[in-house]
Amino acid sequence: MVNDAVKNKGSDDPVLQWVTFRLDGETYGINVMQVQEVLRYTEIAPVPGAPSYVLGIINLRGNVVTVIDTRHRFNLPSGDITDNTRIVIIETDRHVIGILVDSVAEVVYLRQSEIEMAPNVGNEESAKFIQGVCHKNNELLILIELNKLLTSEEWNELEDV
Amino acid sequence: MSDIKNPFESLQDYFDELLPSDELLKSIDATKKVEQSASANIASAIKTSVKTPVAHAAVRITAITAMQEFAEPDVDKKEKLQKLLSSAQPHIVVAPIVNVKTTFMADPTEIQEWVIETAAPIVETQTLETQAVVEADVTTQQFHMPGLEWMPNGLPQWAQSRFDVLLFKVSGLTLAVPLISLGQIQPITDELTPLFGQADWFMGFQPTPQGKIRTVNTAKFVMPERYDESFVKNAKYVVSINGVPWGLAVDSVNQPISLKPEDVKWRSDRSKRPWLAGTVKEHMCALLDIPMIGQMLVDADKNALKSRV
Repeated sequence: MVNDAVKNKGSDDPVLQWVTFRLDGETYGINVMQVQEVLRYTEIAPVPGAPSYVLGIINLRGNVVTVIDTRHRFNLPSGDITDNTRIVIIETDRHVIGILVDSVAEVVYLRQSEIEMAPNVGNEESAKFIQGVCHKNNELLILIELNKLLTSEEWNELEDV
Repeated sequence: MSDIKNPFESLQDYFDELLPSDELLKSIDATKKVEQSASANIASAIKTSVKTPVAHAAVRITAITAMQEFAEPDVDKKEKLQKLLSSAQPHIVVAPIVNVKTTFMADPTEIQEWVIETAAPIVETQTLETQAVVEADVTTQQFHMPGLEWMPNGLPQWAQSRFDVLLFKVSGLTLAVPLISLGQIQPITDELTPLFGQADWFMGFQPTPQGKIRTVNTAKFVMPERYDESFVKNAKYVVSINGVPWGLAVDSVNQPISLKPEDVKWRSDRSKRPWLAGTVKEHMCALLDIPMIGQMLVDADKNALKSRV
């Protein structure tokens, strides 16, 4: 699926599209091919007994979509809901989920060669969510590996929500 | 009379008291555990405290230059310092036993994983003898900083004769680093970007014209037990380590000085604080073994192997 988003400007250095969003003052990127749509904030119905990283569920044109608390997942402090808050509907290998973000910024094109491996120092599990980093438009873009956002056990848990 | 200690012992006691008693590797492990419960608070503190004070970095740097005891070197001194850095770097002595190649290190667990993943398909089609060759090759993938070796005379390779060091301040402690191991000095700006999920001594990426510097919270790295949160507000520069993408955040940078090997009380017990090369009585400072710190930082990065292989 990732390859679908590739613009082959030279086979050695493909160009990928990333949707960027803001979270706690930093800019993150997710592969555009995994983004189904971006919704304005709508009321999220809490689910009793759901894991702590689950904010609740929303009704998306008749389908129930689980919304993840992205700040909680990244070990960031809680934030307020504003007019810019968005729910990004993403598709991973097996599921469609929503992630709550502070705002959605733009779509950027990045060459594969521009993406650097991020360090992984420490024992926090959340470090594995980071696919890489890239300096673009005078800011550091942190690229997220959505497929690793939850473990297989957690994905299974979501099915029970 | 017998109660009076000689100056070196007194200085050593001073640093023993000032610096943490556990070795750095253990402290890294310890901070990893602590960070699991405290990382959210620390990340928040770093974010709020780093961004706000450095928003007017350029203005503040100018003001601070005139006010502080250890301020940014002026243009002439800065040029002199850069010349010293440039002239010192080619003199790095690489021990013949070092296996550098175009390789990178990894912690042992990462190497083991790599061996398992790559060796598995080979085992299906080839003999065990071939697998052994693959494993032997993987061991040479380890990255070694130049200058890591300590000579039989108890001195590091870079201090066999007179050597230059740069003095800087970190949370009130004066530290000295050998110039041969340093890369560049860059101001910490509001572009410093923290990264979630990392050890609490990782301040973030500092973009510079020469690339992104992975900035270490030196105060937390060197003396975590006496760490003061104000350091992230006061840290103004990042001093990069030559050969690795890491740098040390410091409060202020002083002038370089020249030392003779006998000016230093060299550490004999390297297991306690492997990053501490010795102490310099005349300047009341701790001399850092920067190649060792660079190696420790590279070793701590679980993604290091992936980025090079």
